Amino acid sequence: MLNLDTKMKLDFVCISDNMDMGTADSLRHIHQKIKTDVLVLSCDLITDVDLYKVVDLFRTHDASLSMLMKKAHEPTEGVPGQKGKKKPVEQRDFIGVDDTGKRLLFMANEADLDEELVIKRSILQKHPRMHIRTGLMDAHLYCLKKYVVDFLVENRTITSLRSELIPHLVRKQFSSPASLQQGLDNKEEDQKKKEQASLDIYSFIKEDNSLLKPAPDNSCWNDQRGDMNETLHEGKVRCYVHIMKEGLCYRVNTLGLYIEANRQVPKLLLNLGLEESLVHGSAQITDRGMIGSDSIIGSSTQIGEKTSIKHSIIGSMCTIKDRVKITNCIIMNSVTIEEGCCLQGSVICHNAVIEKGADIKDCLIGSDQRLEAKAKHVNEVIVGTEQLMEI
Amino acid sequence: MAARGTARRGAGGGSARGPDPQEEPPPPLQAVLVADSFNRRFFPISKDRPRALLPMANVAMIDYTLEFLTATGVEETFVFCCWKSAEIKEHLQKSKWCRHTSPNKVRFVTSDLYRSLGDVLRDVDAKSLVRSDFILVTGDVVSNFNISKALEEHKLRRKMEKNVSVMTMIFKESSPGHHARCKEDDIVIAMDSATNRVLHYQRTQGLKRFRFPMSLFQNSIENVEVRHDLLDCHISICSPQVAELFTDNFDYQTRDDFVRGLLVNEEVLGNQIHMHVTTEEYGAHICNLLMYEAVCSDIIRRWVYPLTPEMNFTDDKNQSYTHSKHNIYRGVDVSLGHGSVLEENVLIGQGTVIGSNCSITNSVIGQNCRIGDKVTLDGAVLWDRVHIADNVEIHHSVICDEAEVKEKVKLKPRCVLSSQVVVGPGITLSEGTVISLHPPDEEEEDDDQFSDDSGVNKESKVKLKGYNKKDVGSEGRGYLWKADDKNEEDEEEQRQSLWGPAMPSEEESESDSDLSMGSEEPDSRAASPQLDDIKVFQNEVLGTLQRGEEENISCDNLVLEINSLKYAYNISLKEMMQVLSKVILEFPLQQLDANLDSQNYFSALLPLLKNWTPLFKNYIKRASDHLNALCAIEEFFLEHDSLCTSIAKVLMTFYQLEILEEDVILNWFSLRDTSDKGKQLRKNQRLQKFIQWLEEAEEESSDGDQD
Repeated sequence: MLNLDTKMKLDFVCISDNMDMGTADSLRHIHQKIKTDVLVLSCDLITDVDLYKVVDLFRTHDASLSMLMKKAHEPTEGVPGQKGKKKPVEQRDFIGVDDTGKRLLFMANEADLDEELVIKRSILQKHPRMHIRTGLMDAHLYCLKKYVVDFLVENRTITSLRSELIPHLVRKQFSSPASLQQGLDNKEEDQKKKEQASLDIYSFIKEDNSLLKPAPDNSCWNDQRGDMNETLHEGKVRCYVHIMKEGLCYRVNTLGLYIEANRQVPKLLLNLGLEESLVHGSAQITDRGMIGSDSIIGSSTQIGEKTSIKHSIIGSMCTIKDRVKITNCIIMNSVTIEEGCCLQGSVICHNAVIEKGADIKDCLIGSDQRLEAKAKHVNEVIVGTEQLMEI
Repeated sequence: MAARGTARRGAGGGSARGPDPQEEPPPPLQAVLVADSFNRRFFPISKDRPRALLPMANVAMIDYTLEFLTATGVEETFVFCCWKSAEIKEHLQKSKWCRHTSPNKVRFVTSDLYRSLGDVLRDVDAKSLVRSDFILVTGDVVSNFNISKALEEHKLRRKMEKNVSVMTMIFKESSPGHHARCKEDDIVIAMDSATNRVLHYQRTQGLKRFRFPMSLFQNSIENVEVRHDLLDCHISICSPQVAELFTDNFDYQTRDDFVRGLLVNEEVLGNQIHMHVTTEEYGAHICNLLMYEAVCSDIIRRWVYPLTPEMNFTDDKNQSYTHSKHNIYRGVDVSLGHGSVLEENVLIGQGTVIGSNCSITNSVIGQNCRIGDKVTLDGAVLWDRVHIADNVEIHHSVICDEAEVKEKVKLKPRCVLSSQVVVGPGITLSEGTVISLHPPDEEEEDDDQFSDDSGVNKESKVKLKGYNKKDVGSEGRGYLWKADDKNEEDEEEQRQSLWGPAMPSEEESESDSDLSMGSEEPDSRAASPQLDDIKVFQNEVLGTLQRGEEENISCDNLVLEINSLKYAYNISLKEMMQVLSKVILEFPLQQLDANLDSQNYFSALLPLLKNWTPLFKNYIKRASDHLNALCAIEEFFLEHDSLCTSIAKVLMTFYQLEILEEDVILNWFSLRDTSDKGKQLRKNQRLQKFIQWLEEAEEESSDGDQD
């Protein structure tokens, strides 16, 4: 599958299953391989964002961190197997950005807050206008400075990037290393106790700034708009965020988002100019006209007469017989669908067999399942007992 | 413009009256100008002159306010006066505002009964003075703001949603740390950036962190903007509803009360407040001397253009100035001695004579002042007819009408000499000295007054007191308002309240501590403190036993209760034993309070132990329970050194009551892995005797067995 011509050098690092490693642990695990600033992203991200926007932000502002966010999607259609219209009670994230919408000033999760949102005066002193945004989705794509990784290596208590490291960095933007130095004298013991925590990120930054030290004093460039008292003493930790206004960005971490992302992928491919690849060359299709232009058909799949396929993704090696109607479905590899079936809004996993005349709507069919002829299922999850798919 | 009529039915000195304009389709824009601050921030200066008449670059503050209102198109202004209302009225009647040609009709409403802005607005409502949207300002606002755009927005909002938006507040954008941003008037606002609606309004003085209720973010507002870059101009466009709301809520005293009340009750009342932010124009509210100084220098530096001194907007022939470079303004007949330098930002009023070799910078000098030779003025504000002798140095201070500064006096920053005060010769006034002809204790006599009135006729009474020559110099006249040892704090407050809280040095330290607070902020990764169930359980047990003692509840019932507690808090048997022993041993401590004495203690404990023997027996069954109980007892005595001597007796009692068995006690005594303190405890003579006795008893009994 992976093209060998690709310019990217891939290096797989396996983490054994029985090690309970968080994202930060994983990064720590490979820190020896990281020689420079690093881009971290999760495998469930599907996006057509121009990556340079995130990286540019990172470079122009000499940021410690830049990340990607996008307005969260309103779930458009129901999720198969979900009973009723339960509104997901999510913990909202509060994101504070400055007037330009790029500088990340504040980050809090609803779960950590009581009745109030608390913002420190010193932040507003420097950045007097703060936009508090809710309903943004973190794409889990981070540009990190090398020293952040170094910091991570020393700070073994951090296990997760998203829930620990990032909020820590955002907070650290507005605390001064100087006062920490004072604290060091006063309470040495305390220092030792939380050595890791306060073996502070600042101590990792210093080295590369020694050359540039006079620069901020001599330049009129600065990055802030508020109180000018401390203009030139701008904190060395700076976090930025690129908020996508349009374009595709999905984190496929729920079934609903998986379906949604699948729907969007044909558009993405079309945008990339890969039209011909939507229907694989080796697929055998009897009625070409019945295939919607936004459907994808995998290799060696056979599709019978008068079968219509709309807004759907069909994997490879499938057999779809005559007079089948497939709408809004995701069908994985080697699935057999017999004559006269009607499938709507469902996800069918590998090797499933749907016998004649079945009528399936909004269902999740696990792999190797066999649905009997004329079966009728609405909004169900049908999986083998041994392999419950996580929803 | 023709004289306009009035819809006013209230009392007050009138000006021209004419036909009623009510029929005209667009009602004339009205304004309510409150020429009283209802506080004493400018005491003792405002004892002689109401705040609205204090000269700001030689022009009374109220003139700036009226000019702002007139320029922005207000056609009728109601001036509400209270303290020294006659003076304000007299001043205005002489001014151009009361001429027939004035486009802005000024009407006076005076009453000594006003105690707050709320009273004024309730009166506005009672007298139905306003017919439409009006502008609410206080008499100490300096602004060149053009209200028309904000007014348009306000009207549009009112039209779109009838009577929902009741007020539009005007803010000026200015960065934190701007000199015209007074610490005490500082605010932070949460707004809906799409609609300019005010969601949260909070004064920030003294706050390190700003709290925003979560309810702000709950509703459909997508983008809540938190703004800390706003200067409250104290100009608001109000609908007539505002006056009604003040009537409905008679506890609203200030505009702050009103805004807070409205925002909190928004869901109930359905009223909203909006805001308008200006970036270009100037607007400031003079709430203390620090602001007074800041605005003064802004006027001289032409930030309030076109309200600059040489414009002479008051149309007073004594107030004509020529403007030359470096912002030097000179009135008519100003004479400047040989070798005197006006560096920059200096305003000199008509008829002032300045001696030779003076250096004057960033200062305002009133009319007919006499300034001697070799005088240094830096950031000084001199009012009219001030006399300054030779070799005087004045920094950042305010000197009121007819005050006199004798030779070689030095005024450090933030001094205030109120009118007719004389200081000197040859003294130095330390920072923040305030001197007035009114003795400070005079104030107490009129403490019942909330407004800054009264105290006028009482001068004669206190004149008897002499002036302290140490404070004001050998030829001085005046009382020191500060630095009295007895009530230094009060005086400190006084100075602070006059000048306002924003001293540069304080600011520095504040931001420092702020930063350190930031770093000390608890890490989210730090383990959250464990809920101490045992502690709670211990308190519960204590309560139960107390009740048992008071109400004579039987031990069986106590056991039942404690058992249920044990399950409720998920307490293990071991912990249970320790807690119980501890609670019972501590029990007498409460009764004995102070006289902790091992004798008393034991005599108090003994009956308790006897009473509660079944309780112990219920829980102490296995050998390990015995040991646990013993450990708890040991712990208790380690904590209470003074009671150490009674440990033997206590153990004895336990033994005699057959709660603890002898071999367990012996076992416990010989435990090796104890702390130093524990070892010390074991060296206690009586305890050793007791143990010895036990050992012997055992030997005897075992002997007996053998026999």
